[in-house]
This record gives sequence, structure tokens and C-alpha cells, in this order.
Amino acid sequence: MIRISTSMIFNQGVTNMQARSVELAKTQNQLSNSRRILTPSDDPIASARSLEIEQSQSINLQYQRNTASASTSLSLSENTLTTATTLLQDVKTIAVNAGNGALSSNELKSIGSDLRARYQELIGLANATDGNGQYLFSGYQGSTKPFAETAPGTVAYFGDQGSRLTQITASRQIPVSDSGGDVFQLVKNGNKTFATAATGANTGTAVISPGEVIDPTKWNVAGNSKNFTVKFSVDTQLPPVTTYDIVDNVSGFSLLTGVAAAVTGPYLRTYTDAGNISLKTQAPPDTNATPFDYGAQLAVKGSPATGDTFTVKASTNVDVFATIYSLITAVETATDNPAGNAALANKLNSAMTDVDNSLDNVLRVRATIGSRLNEVDTATSSSQDLVVQYQSTLSGLRDLDYAKAISDLTQQQMVLQAAQQSFAKIQTLSLFNYLQL
Amino acid sequence: MATSIFGIGLSGLNAAQASLASTSHNITNSANGAFHRQTAIQGTQDPQLGAGGFFGKGATVETVVRSYDRFLEGAVLQAQGQGSYLDAYNKQITQIDNLLADPTSGMSPALQTFFSGVQDVASNPSSVPSRQAMISQANAMVSRFATFDSRFEQLRSGVNSEISDSITQINATAKSIADMNDQIIASLSSDSKPANDLLDKRDALVANLNKLIHTSVITESSGSISVFIGTGQTLVIGNQSYSLKAAPSTADPKDFDISYQSGGSTTAINASNLQGGSLGALLDFRTQTLDTVQNNLGRTAIVLAQTFNDQHRLGQDLNGVAGQNFFNVPTPTVLVNSNNTGTAAITATNTAVGSLTGSDYRLQFAAGNWTFTRLTDNTKTVFLPAAFPVTIDGITLASPSGTPLAGDSYLIQPTRTGSRDISVAITDTAKIAAAAPIRTNVPLTNTGSGTITAGTVNSPPPQNANILQPVTLTFTGASAFSVTGTGTGNPVGVAYTPGANITYNGWTVQVSGAPAIGDTFTISPNTNGVADNRNALLLAGLQTKNTVEGTANYQSSYSQLVSSVGNRAREIQVQSDAQEVLVQQATTAQQSLSGVNLDEEAANLIRFQQAYQASGKVLSVAATLFDTILGIRP
Repeated sequence: MIRISTSMIFNQGVTNMQARSVELAKTQNQLSNSRRILTPSDDPIASARSLEIEQSQSINLQYQRNTASASTSLSLSENTLTTATTLLQDVKTIAVNAGNGALSSNELKSIGSDLRARYQELIGLANATDGNGQYLFSGYQGSTKPFAETAPGTVAYFGDQGSRLTQITASRQIPVSDSGGDVFQLVKNGNKTFATAATGANTGTAVISPGEVIDPTKWNVAGNSKNFTVKFSVDTQLPPVTTYDIVDNVSGFSLLTGVAAAVTGPYLRTYTDAGNISLKTQAPPDTNATPFDYGAQLAVKGSPATGDTFTVKASTNVDVFATIYSLITAVETATDNPAGNAALANKLNSAMTDVDNSLDNVLRVRATIGSRLNEVDTATSSSQDLVVQYQSTLSGLRDLDYAKAISDLTQQQMVLQAAQQSFAKIQTLSLFNYLQL
Repeated sequence: MATSIFGIGLSGLNAAQASLASTSHNITNSANGAFHRQTAIQGTQDPQLGAGGFFGKGATVETVVRSYDRFLEGAVLQAQGQGSYLDAYNKQITQIDNLLADPTSGMSPALQTFFSGVQDVASNPSSVPSRQAMISQANAMVSRFATFDSRFEQLRSGVNSEISDSITQINATAKSIADMNDQIIASLSSDSKPANDLLDKRDALVANLNKLIHTSVITESSGSISVFIGTGQTLVIGNQSYSLKAAPSTADPKDFDISYQSGGSTTAINASNLQGGSLGALLDFRTQTLDTVQNNLGRTAIVLAQTFNDQHRLGQDLNGVAGQNFFNVPTPTVLVNSNNTGTAAITATNTAVGSLTGSDYRLQFAAGNWTFTRLTDNTKTVFLPAAFPVTIDGITLASPSGTPLAGDSYLIQPTRTGSRDISVAITDTAKIAAAAPIRTNVPLTNTGSGTITAGTVNSPPPQNANILQPVTLTFTGASAFSVTGTGTGNPVGVAYTPGANITYNGWTVQVSGAPAIGDTFTISPNTNGVADNRNALLLAGLQTKNTVEGTANYQSSYSQLVSSVGNRAREIQVQSDAQEVLVQQATTAQQSLSGVNLDEEAANLIRFQQAYQASGKVLSVAATLFDTILGIRP
């Protein structure tokens, strides 16, 4: 026979009611906090996991802030370079105007002062700063003014080639600055392989073209000094015959004869106006023992005078300021005579090529900025997707299922009530109530 | 005959009265949990041979027994001891569980905010407000670490005072049991009948003792009980009790150890031998949970401080000076056992924080050898004194000064004080080393397509003494370059592989592309590099790097901690709930035999009342019979 002691009936009743109350209190606590996990022990795995996700979420938020700041920096550079692009295009238009041949030296001088203003404006743009007063184009040296005119026409770069980076995703650090050297200095002159120029002492009216490379491999062949002079000589016949020689400035030999260059003409090749001057053996008339072919050609237009020379040199980097300044000097020193016009035309030609090159370079940098901005946008939108994803994962791990919690609460309430009512009933039962002792 | 009827009636009255007394005793003690229901056992008096056979002489009360079953009692004792262990453990671990629970005050928001600060400096390396924010957030994080540590220390001193209280209670209970033994022996010697209520009292004392600590109880033939604890230490024998003492441990004065006192001598009892009960729970909680949690959080702090410093020192601050320590890195604690007789002083340093385990260690000298024991799993490393300095688990022990004697021991806590001692070493915003000390340059005159990377500084710190010396790489052929610059040894004809590491003076760069002959690349000091954020990016990257034991980043080492505490707390809660059911079942079974049921007692009351009334009737019949005899008129 199973006995039960009276105190056990009480104890069990009380214990059970307490257990139900604890459950009820916990559900109530969950509801009022709107959290499923109140302490890590409620769900240790989900707690640890949610901490990890919180970190990912916080890092993701940080990346969002970083992309915003990257976007600002890049846009700032982009805006500055857009202005620089317009400015260079204006400079080119001005140069084209200056070269139309109808302008007097005085008119040219006023063009010169216009160009000077552009020149200063460009230096200003190159020294642009961001909202924090940091120079945009000084590399790592944010507080060092990157460009300053150290002598008329000479603008020195005081920055470095460092590129400031911003972490926009876990695996990507994007450059948000461009070195001023890269934007404004790394510009090859001439046709980017070689540059042609008239010597200042020319008396004829000949104008040289920028020339072109037909075969870069041949141009880069070993033994090419990439430094030549084209010399002209006009004889006394009628009509006069103009001849030219191509001299290797390094060896002092004529390319055409293969021996030391003759000081005076006539030379081997005959000049035709606007005809190609090829850097390749043409036998006859060339007589050199070893034929040469540097895969390049150029053209001279107009009438060279005896002793007129043109140089052909490998391209070097000429900064955009020097290019504009050479335009300024060209228009300001122009003289009103045919030789002066030719000199101006020669200078304008090479300067315009260089302005084009500068423009190309600025556009190249703008293109990279554009693609970086695109990348930043992509990173922003993917991190926005992540925000939602992390949020929903976190919510799944931690947040309360209200429907379930409320139904639990109701059920637990009911059970507690039943426990209380049954306890109240049972505790009144006693044989003593019925005994008439 | 009438005399015998009188006698029988009287014996019936007495027996019924005795039973009524027992029943009343039961009723009045029905709410006493330690009480065992008593029954007056009635028997018959020896019969008398009369005419025609043996005639009964009435009832007698043989003894009063208590309803007691040794096995049921043992089950309750066992269940209650375990239940008390789990309750006490639960009470302690819940505090840590709650501490870690709050999503806003936990460690992880502080860690995240700090690294957001680092990222902000990376985005705006020259901004003083960003730098100030990073230092402030570092301070906030450090103080969060310290808050956790002080909470752990509170728990530790709480555990110590609870241990002291438990010991006082154990001593008092042991004394009471010894007194009860004395009374029970005395009552048994005067009368061989059991002193039920005294036994109940003694049982209750044993049950109370068992809730404090697991005991073994042996009943002696004299009726006294002997109580043993631990590995057989006698707590009570006969009317004699011995006492325990709680005092600061000889190995670590912050923790209380328990020793056994007998005959004027004191012997330490190994905590691992004191099992069960609330005292066992306190001791287990301290070693299994509190030490582990505090050590592991300390380890996170140390790894964070050290790895952050290592990267920070590779950088360059706003003043153009090499970065110094950003945090003060906590150092291991070496505790000299107060019983040591030698003079050796041990120093330990954390030399490879990535290998730290979070365990404490004991270094012991015996028989000419040192033994280094990892306390979490008792892995021992034995080495000779000549082997110093020794590095184990990222801790380096320097050669001790002084002379050790056999038996000397030292407790080494590499990470215990980590979260207390971590602090921010710099206050000047300019001293945050966001930049790298070098930069590279490609001159405009280069004609080839060669490019050079921005360069990195080789770890570990300190930076190479020549790192700021300008170095030039000059290409002398399509696949060879020469190096000029102080500290490089000016090598000539170094083979060039595009993209390969080129390392001199503590930096590494990569050149790629096709440099032309005569092209140069320069590596120069990063003077005025205030907008350079390369080092800040590397510092920010530490947040997700697996720096803790090579498998976890700072945050995940913390979440492992949260998860391990959460799991343990859950385990204890589940066990505790289950144990409650077991206690209830065991108690129900025990009460089913020994408990008082008032309905039953009410019925007994009626029964014995009626027996009493009936016996009274017997007397009255006897009187009538006697009157009948007296009424005969011869």
C-alpha cells in the first residue's frame, strides 16, 4: 500500500506551483525584453553565435562608413580633376587660336596673360584640399602643399607617390587618393615615344610634325640612341635644292653615311615639302655600310633654311605646368616675321601635343577614379544587403517568437491556475473535518 | 477471574493510552520534516495457565518504534547532498551568466567600438578628433576589462567568505552530532529502548552536514555514529568532534584553502578531495569556472594588448617617430608558496602570447629537477636547472636567482590579472602610429614599366635600426639590380624576379613590371607622412585576425568564453532541475514510510479511543461481575 504523508501533499503542491510560477515569470521576462535569450545559459550556442554576428555586423557598419568616406574623397578628387580637364581643354582651344597665324605679337601677349591665369589656376587645383584641410594630391604627406613654383615655369612636387587606402570590404583596400606626381607630372611629351622640336636658331619657315612610330620594336632596338638631329642645307641652284642629313647626337655620326657627320651640306637625302623623313635606310641615296631601321618617321613642312635643325629625342616626362608655361613663353616671345611664325608654330605644335598628353593623363586618372567609385558603390550596396542579412540572422538567433511566447504564457497561466485551485481543494480535505470527537 | 478481568481491562486502558500518546505525538509533529512517525507496539502479556488452558492476561506496550528505512534515508541524503551541490554551483555561476548576458554592457560592444575607432583613424589618419576618439575608446575598453575583473574578484571573495561560513557551520554541526552521540549513548545505557526523537535529531544534523559536504557515516555498536569527510578525515567519533579551518592558501593567498585540525596539528586538505555539498560546489566553481573565466578573459586582454602593440610599434606616429607601445601589457603573476624554504625567485614573462592557454601552472623543485605542471590537465614538463630559460605554452621562465630547496613550489598565473592590468599607454593623440615609416618612389626619369609597392615593415618589432636610411635600387640589366644605402651592404647584381620580395633594413617591397636599364626605385623615410594610414589599416585588420592560439580572434575568444560559461550554467541548471525531481522522489518514498498522514492518525485516534472506551467497558463489566458476587446473599 502506498502511503502519503500530509506534509508531502503540501510540499509537492507548493513545489509544483513554484515551478509553474518560475516558468511563467521567465516567459513574462522574455516578453517584456522581447528577447528569447535572457542569459547565455538559455542558449549558449546561439549566444556565442550572436556575439560573432554582432562583430560582423559592427565591422560591416564600419565598412559602410568607410565606403561613404571613400566615396567623398574620390568624388572630391574627381571634381577637382573635372575642373582640371575643362581647364586643359580651354588651354588647348587658346593654343589653337594662338596658332591661326592671324594674330599680332601684341594679341598673342594678351593670350599669354590669359594662359598665365590658367597656369595659376591649375597650380591651385593641384593644391586642392579636402574638408579636413588635407591636400588631395600630396600622397602620404597630407599637410604638405604638394606643388609650388620654385622658379618661373618650374613647379616642383613636394608630395610623394603614396596612395591613401580605405578598407571598404574585408578583402579590399581601395586607393582614395592619387599622387600629384601621377596626375600632373607623369606625362610623356611628343608622341609619347619621341618628341620633335625646332631649334631656336632656325631661320627658315619649316614646321616639324610630332612624327610617328611605325614599329615600336624597331624603335626600341639596341643601338638606337633615340637622340637625333635633322639638319637642312639649301644649295644655291635655281630653283634651290634642299637636302637633309640625320645625325646621331650620341655618336656624332650621320645615319645616312655611317661616318662622322659633315658640318655643311649638301646632304644625301633631298627634302620634299611635307614629305616623310624616315628613320630607315633608303639606299640610294643613303650610303652607310650597315643599314638602319628605327621604325619611325616624321615630316617637315615649309621651307627650311640652311643650318636649320630639328631634334628628335626619346620622350621624357614633362609636367603639365611646364607644358603650359612653354605655351606662355611661346606666345609671349612670338615675333612678327615668317621665321617667328614658324618658331611659334613649332612651339605651339609640340606644346599642344603635350597638352593633349596631359589631358589624356588626367582623363586616365579620372577613369580609374570612376571605376573605384563604381567599386565603392557596389561595396556599399552589398554591405547594405549584409545589414539585412545579419539583422535577420541575429533576430532568428535572439529574438522572441511572440506568437509562441504569448501562447506559452496563456498555457502556463492556465496550468498555474489549475495547480492553485486543485491545491486549494485538496488542502481542505481532512478526516478531522468529519470526526465528532 | 474478576481480578484478572480488572487486570486485563487496565492493561488495555494503558495500551490504548500509550497508542493515543504516540498518535498525538505524530499529529503534533506532522509538520516536522525530520520527524519519523512513531508507533507504540502492543503485545500480549504472558498467559496464565488456568483450568482448561492458557488464559490471556491482557495487552502490554512492548516498545515505541519509528518508521525508519536505512536505504530510503540514504537515498534522500544522497539526493539532497547532490541537490545542494548543484544549487550552490548554480547560485554562483548564475552571477557570471548574468554578467555576460547583457548585450550592452558585455565585452563585445567595447571591443567593437574600439576597433571602429581604429578604423576611423585609418580613414582620417591626421584628424586629431579621430585619434582622440580612438584613445578614449581604448580607455573605455580597458575599463570594461577592469570592471569584469573586479566583478570576478568580488565573486572570489564571496566564495572565500562562503567557504568560511560553511566551515563554521560544519564545525558547529559536527559538535552537535558529537553531543547527540553522547545523549544517545547515555539513553541507551540506561534503557535499551531506542530514543527515537534523539535519533531523529541526530539524523537531521547529519542531513544538514551532508548538504554542506559529502560525508560517510558509520553507525557504531554503541549506537553512536562516526562521520568522515574527504579522504577519511574523522569529523565525529563518539562524543568527540574535530574541526576544519578555512585560511588563505599557501599557494595563492587570494583563495581560501581548507585544513583539518586534530591534536594541535593542522593538515591541508586538497580541495579536489572535498567533494559534494555546497562546500564542494564552491571549491569546484572556483577552479572550474571562476579561474577559467578570469584567466581566459585575461588572456584575451593580454593577446589584444601584445598583438596591437607589436603592430603599433612597426608604424610611425604623427611626429615621425616609430610607434611605441599602445597598451601596457599585463605580466604573469608568480606566487611564492608561503611554505617554501629556499630563496629562489622565479620570474616569468609571456613571450609568445599566441600560445597562451589560459591555464595556471605550478613550478616545483624536487630531487634536483624542476617540474612545470599545467594545472588544467596536469601535463608535466620536467627539466634540469641548467635548462633555464625555459619556454612552455608561451611563458618563458628566466633562470631563478637564489637557491631552491626540495619541495619549494611556485604558482604561476600567466593571464589571471590580464583584464585587471591592461591599460592604455599613450595619452598624446600624436603618438598613434597610423603611418608606416617608409615610402617608395619611382623617379619620373624611369623609362621602363617597373612599379614598386608601397612597402611593408617586417615584424616583429622593434624596427630595424637602419629602416629610415634611404635606399636606391638601380637596375643594371633586365633581371639584375644593385642596391645602395646604409645598412644594405650595397650588393651588386641582385637577381630580379618580378613581384618577388625585396627585403633590406627591415622593410619589404615588391618591384614588378619591366624596369629599363638605369631605372631606379627609392625607398625613403616617410617624412611628413601624416595622411598615411597603412599601419592604421593593419591595426584595424587585427580585429579579425586569428591571434588567440592561432584559431580565434579577440571577439571569438570572448564568445567562446560566453559559450563555455553559458553551457556550464545550462548544464548545472538542467542537472539541478533533474536533481530536484530526484530529491522529491526520494523524499516522497521516504515520507511514504516515515511521514505522518493526518487522516491515518485521525483514524488511529478513533481506533485507540474506542479501544480505551472498550477497555473501560471491560473494567465496568468486571465491576458488575464483582458486584454480582457481592450481591449474593447466602
